[in-house]
Amino acid sequence: MEDIKVYIESGILELYVLGNVTPEERAQVEAMAQKHPSIKAELDEIERSLELYAGENAVEPSKDMRNRVLNSLVVNLGDDRTFKSARTATDEENNVIPILRARSNNIFKYAFAACFALLIISIAGLFSVYNKLQESNNLVASLQSQNQQFTNQVNLMDRELGVFRDPSFKMLKLQGTSKSPSSALMVAWSPARKKVMIDMANASMPANDKDHQYQLWAMVGGKPVDLGVFDADTTSKGMKEMKSIASADAFAVTLEQRGGSLTPTMDQMMMIGKF
Amino acid sequence: MSKKRKISLSEEELVLALQRRENIAAEALYDMYSASLFGVIVRIVNDETLAEDILQDTFVKIWNSFSSYSTEKGRLFTWMVNIARNLAIDKIRSKDFKNQTKNQELENNVTFIDEQRNTVYKPELLGVKDLVEQLKPEQKSILNLVYFKGYTHVEAADELGVPLGTIKTRLRTAIAQLRKYFN
Repeated sequence: MEDIKVYIESGILELYVLGNVTPEERAQVEAMAQKHPSIKAELDEIERSLELYAGENAVEPSKDMRNRVLNSLVVNLGDDRTFKSARTATDEENNVIPILRARSNNIFKYAFAACFALLIISIAGLFSVYNKLQESNNLVASLQSQNQQFTNQVNLMDRELGVFRDPSFKMLKLQGTSKSPSSALMVAWSPARKKVMIDMANASMPANDKDHQYQLWAMVGGKPVDLGVFDADTTSKGMKEMKSIASADAFAVTLEQRGGSLTPTMDQMMMIGKF
Repeated sequence: MSKKRKISLSEEELVLALQRRENIAAEALYDMYSASLFGVIVRIVNDETLAEDILQDTFVKIWNSFSSYSTEKGRLFTWMVNIARNLAIDKIRSKDFKNQTKNQELENNVTFIDEQRNTVYKPELLGVKDLVEQLKPEQKSILNLVYFKGYTHVEAADELGVPLGTIKTRLRTAIAQLRKYFN
């Protein structure tokens, strides 16, 4: 008991609390404290009084230090290394991971399904829109061609009408020859405009076969001049413009090889008309 | 920062919470001990900015190596203040710090800083005047050298020009005086 008192009086306990001892002395003090409750109590008293003394001499750090320090601890909270000593891998951790995984898997599954459904709907939508577009394009094309037809027809009729309006046109009716007595064809000719038209709508002549074509001739000073070939069938209508000529005494139509001849085949003369 | 009420726990509660690494433990730890630890650190390094860095390092070290503390070794504050004091002493003995304070002899500042501190902080500290009167000047200087300046008792003996045994005795009587005062 006397030894303990001497030990306490030596001042080693104060130095121990102040961290002012060698590792050997430290181990010794700790061993003594475990063995003797009175030393432990003495140590506790010294610690308590120095702690209070520090409290009396406390200096408040600046206000923003609190956040700074706590943030640096929170950052360290997220650091895996700080957990190693304090926490061991428990069942708790093993359970948490699969639950999180299952949940995130589900989210991806639903997201994928939603995306896939959207894709299907989009493709269907595109397909129907494409069909409608195609339909519209066809309609536009047919309308355009119809429009073209009308334009052509209007142009043609305009020209036909022009023939009748224009006083320079002379009308000549070609009469059928002995070869084809019933044939008849109206020719309109404007010497001023050098224009020759034939009226297919009111023509009455036998239809030509596919090897032959009718050829129109103008007689200029007794010589035949080619004015072009034409077909006659039941569907031909409207007026047809032939090659131009400035002067003519007479017009005649012969039946020639398809494509026409350089000189008329006189024995195939179908119609003739003179001024 | 909102003005939060400072958190305070009993030492047992705090130690348990720290062992469980609860966020509230970090806050309580700071609120309960930052000023006491800062008082020690700032007296050792004599530089407020540097002391703040060391205070932060101290809390990080306390937090990260808390598993090495056990209640059997003694009070929590004793363990923490030794961490703070060692970090501060390491700093002032480092090359950086010596270069920084080339012309300042640490010894010359010892009394000056404390006088400055006392005039600045005295009004906030209840009972300090009584306490100062309780301690004899030689008790106060040895306590301050060792506790607040980080001197070893050997360095303190050198500084004060007294034998090592006298240092130990003075330290013991100074602490005994504190015990009497706080009881």
